[in-house]
Amino acid sequence: MPILPKKKVGIVACSGEEMPEGTVSRVAALKVLEELRPNDTVTICLPLFLAGGEGDRAFARFYPTVAVDGCEKRCAARATEMYSGKPAASIVVTDVVSGNGLGPIQGSQRLNEAGMQAADLVAQEVARLVDGLLGRTGRAVEEAVVEEPAEEAPEDEEAAISLCSCGSGIPVQKVSVNGRVVTLIALPAIFEQFYQSGKRPGDGTTRELLEIARIYNPIPPEEEAAYAEALAREYEKYCRKQL
Amino acid sequence: MSPNRRVMIVPCSGIGKTFGTVSREAAYTVVEDLRPDAAELVALSLLVLGDEEARAAVAEHPTVTIDGCRLACATKMVQESGLPVARSFTVLDAFRKHRDLKPEGISSLNLEGQKLARVLAEEVAEAVDEVVRGET
Repeated sequence: MPILPKKKVGIVACSGEEMPEGTVSRVAALKVLEELRPNDTVTICLPLFLAGGEGDRAFARFYPTVAVDGCEKRCAARATEMYSGKPAASIVVTDVVSGNGLGPIQGSQRLNEAGMQAADLVAQEVARLVDGLLGRTGRAVEEAVVEEPAEEAPEDEEAAISLCSCGSGIPVQKVSVNGRVVTLIALPAIFEQFYQSGKRPGDGTTRELLEIARIYNPIPPEEEAAYAEALAREYEKYCRKQL
Repeated sequence: MSPNRRVMIVPCSGIGKTFGTVSREAAYTVVEDLRPDAAELVALSLLVLGDEEARAAVAEHPTVTIDGCRLACATKMVQESGLPVARSFTVLDAFRKHRDLKPEGISSLNLEGQKLARVLAEEVAEAVDEVVRGET
C-alpha cells in the first residue's frame, strides 16, 4: 500500500539577527516546532531556501507554509513567495506586539520579558494557523490552486500522471474540473491506496476521495461538486485499467 | 584600530540546526561583547532580498561571514550578491579544532555549544581586528 506523505506545515522564520523582533520570530518558530506542534510542522531553512536549496524549495511548493516575520519588510514571506509559492499564512511580530500593547522588545541575543511574551503570543498564533491549515478547525486551506487553464486534459491517463515538477518525487495527476485542467497532488497514490483497500467506484468512495484529496489540494467549497465529479470519473477509469 | 573602519558580520541564519545557532551566537558575541565598536550585524535575508541599506553596508565595509555548515549559505549569498567577503568562518571548522566542544540544542545551546560559540567569536574578533588594520 502506498504511503502518502503526511501533510505538514512549513514554518519560515525571519532571519533578522539585527533586530530583537527577528529573535522573537525565531524563538516563536522554535516553540511551535519543538513544543506546540512538533508532529505537524517542519522548519524551512531561510538561508538555504534563499541559496537555492532544492529540498526546501520543493517542500514549500508541496506543503503549506507559515511565514513568521519580525518586521514589515517581511523577508520570510517575500522570499517564500519569490522562490516557491505564496505562504498560506503570514504573521508579523510587530503587529502582534502593537496589537497586544506589549512593552518595547529588547535584546537580540537574550530577549527581555516583553520579548518572551511576544514570542509566546506569536507561537500560539502560529499554532492556531497550523491547525487551520491542517483542517482541524474547519478553515479552508488558502493555498493557490495549481492550474493550467489553457491545456486540454490528456486522454491518455498515463500521460496525465507524472511526478510533481518541484522535484520532490510526489506523484501528481492532471484532471479536468469544470472545463479546465487542474493538477492534483498525490492523486495517483490515493487511487492506488483506495484500489488496494478494495474500495470501488460509488458515491461513498467519491466522498472519501474528495476528503483525502482535500488534504493535499485546496478545493474551493463552491467547486466541491465539480471536483467530486472529476474524481469519480478518474477513479472509475483507474479501476477499469486495473482489470 | 581605525575608529572609522567598521566590519559587517553576516552569520548563517538557519533556525533548524545546532550549527546555525552556534553561528548566530558567535556573531552576537562579536558585535555585542567583543567588538561592539568595530563590528555590526547584517541579516542575510535583507541582503539577498535586495534591501538597499543592507547592500550598501556590505558594499562599503569589509564583511566577515560565519556559516553553520559546509553549504556556506552566508558566504555564497554575499558573493552571489556581487559583494566581497573579506574573511569567512564556519562552525564546522571550529568544531573540528575543538572536538571536546560538541554543540547540542537549537533554541538553547548546551554548555559546550556556548563555549564553541565563544571560541569561534574570539577567532572572528581577531579577524575583525586584522581587517580593520587592513591586513586582509
